[in-house]
Amino acid sequence: MSDVLAVNAVNLTKAYGSLTAVNNITVQVARGEVYGVLGPNGAGKTTFLRMLFGLIRPDSGTLEVFGRSWPRHGVNSLSGVAGFIESPKFYPALSGRRNLRLLAGLDGGDAADRVDDVLDMVGLTARQHDKVRGYSFGMRQRLGVASALLRNPRLLVLDEPANGLDPAGIRDMRALVRRLADTGLTVLLSSHDMGEVEQICDNVTIMKAGTVVHHGSIAALRELAPEQAHRISTTDDDRAAELARARGLEVTTADDGLDVRGPQKDVDALIADIVDTGIALRGLTRDETPLEALFFMLTESAPAGPPAGLDAATGGRR
Amino acid sequence: MTAAVPAVAPAARRRPGTATVLRWEATKLAAQVRSRALLIGAVVVPIAVVLIFNTQLPPKDTIYGRHIHTSGYAVPLFVLAFAHQWVLPLLAALVAGDIFANEDQHGTWKTILTRSVSRTQIFWAKTLTAVGFNLLVLVLLAASTITTSLLVVGSQPLPGLSGQLIPAGHALPLVIASWATAVAPVLGFTALAILLSVVTRNPTIGVASPVVLGMIMQLVGSLGGLNKARRLLLTTPFETWHGLLTAHPFHAPVTTGVIVSAGWLVVCLAIAYLYLRRRDITGG
Ligand SMILES: Nc1ncnc2c1ncn2[C@@H]1O[C@H](COP(=O)(O)OP(=O)(O)OP(=O)(O)O)[C@@H](O)[C@H]1O
Ligand SMILES: [Mg+2]
Repeated sequence: MSDVLAVNAVNLTKAYGSLTAVNNITVQVARGEVYGVLGPNGAGKTTFLRMLFGLIRPDSGTLEVFGRSWPRHGVNSLSGVAGFIESPKFYPALSGRRNLRLLAGLDGGDAADRVDDVLDMVGLTARQHDKVRGYSFGMRQRLGVASALLRNPRLLVLDEPANGLDPAGIRDMRALVRRLADTGLTVLLSSHDMGEVEQICDNVTIMKAGTVVHHGSIAALRELAPEQAHRISTTDDDRAAELARARGLEVTTADDGLDVRGPQKDVDALIADIVDTGIALRGLTRDETPLEALFFMLTESAPAGPPAGLDAATGGRR
Repeated sequence: MTAAVPAVAPAARRRPGTATVLRWEATKLAAQVRSRALLIGAVVVPIAVVLIFNTQLPPKDTIYGRHIHTSGYAVPLFVLAFAHQWVLPLLAALVAGDIFANEDQHGTWKTILTRSVSRTQIFWAKTLTAVGFNLLVLVLLAASTITTSLLVVGSQPLPGLSGQLIPAGHALPLVIASWATAVAPVLGFTALAILLSVVTRNPTIGVASPVVLGMIMQLVGSLGGLNKARRLLLTTPFETWHGLLTAHPFHAPVTTGVIVSAGWLVVCLAIAYLYLRRRDITGG
């Protein structure tokens, strides 16, 4: 029984009219892992999560959550599942606390006893009696997390949870997700931010235009990622580019300098070369991280998809 | 293969039953200013109306208008005849036309449908709440009108519609029965408002369109030569109480009115239910 996947979505497809929002994707999430669904705007992340919650029906494919499927188990397939889709919504004329109490009524069990705890967990205790109408975007997002935790879930599904949060809020949200994951909770979250997924997820599925372009562990993804890129600007960029090529580094010229990609020790040596040659170094910054670079390669490349060396994975579990 | 994988044992938590969801919906409704105002209005407005008409010249061209100063039993019938033109359809639609569509307005369908309740439970909870609320409004309206009329004008005998005089002792049950005939069409309009708000997902349309449709039906009903079709209109049952107040009362129109209203109710609710079951929840 313990080998039942938390989420087992196989060959899911959903079209809105002529637009195929999710095209034959397979996503499998084991219990206890923090799983990221990563993709740019319009990739189909939200559409996938809506199907998981039974808010929309897939045109084809199967979807099981802890071994239960919507067609066979109806709303019981959501037992132990909680989360939110896009920005969480509440009754604006009622207070945050009142909203949670109402939702606890729809959860049954001991949900009503947990209202204080979850408000505390997301830091909304002081504002619990204010009407949701007066909440900021970030506060609603946190109330969304609180309302999910009310259900004491085994699977927490969060659609772009950091959306609209300030830097401190993002940090807190990520820490909360990690803390929850440490208690054995399975977390499935969507994001368009590789950095976020890299920080908190164990495994990831990368989507683009409704299809899966890659899936696997973050560790495996790191192996595939290109070298760290550096942006270098000097008083003589043409000469600096020659020096970089002589070191075997990959060089692309930009408006305000050079993008140099290669092993860190070669980049270090290049900096020494530049200074030795009498060229002044005006700037040295790290560009996107290797994983971010990989993410852009995967999701921005022409329809052909992944770069050489990457399998256009359908997402089936290893 | 999937069949061989045992499902996880049901969580210890029990899903809330439909009664719990019904209580939930009623709590939500009770928290609304609109619904509380409506209940207060159903009591207060008839008092004001009766008091005002008591100081005016009797309107001669409306049924029972000429008798409103001479019999306290005539006043509630006069008010009923006026109310069914648009007031009762409006009262029926105010909550029923909003109770589904306000979830669309607030984007909260996804919030409630990702908990432990099914669409069927939500549908029945909302429908029964709207029905219960509308019955309560109708009862308050009738009780307030009848009581105020009797206190202000008095309990003189009631002139019947075929010229007979109905003694006070018989008049009260007849007046109550007349108001009771409005229950069926009010429930029909409740279902119509639910259907329109479920399909359009817009509370304004949900509230306004049943009233407009009611007026159109009255207009169509007042055209001559449509006797068969006229019976199928949802506004016709509002007038069946006339038959109760003749010297030889006839009840067949009341029965027909109840059947027609029930037909509207069943058809509207069935379509609304199927629509809600099947729709994609994409907004919010
Ligand atoms: N209700 C709808 N009707 C028509 N098209 C839709 C609908 N919902 C989504 N789509 C389309 O489906 C595609 C996938 O949308 P989806 O919301 O799943 O993307 P996403 O990955 O969540 O994007 P984002 O990062 O912007 O939230 C998009 O092209 C979108 O325009
Ligand atoms: Mg989205």
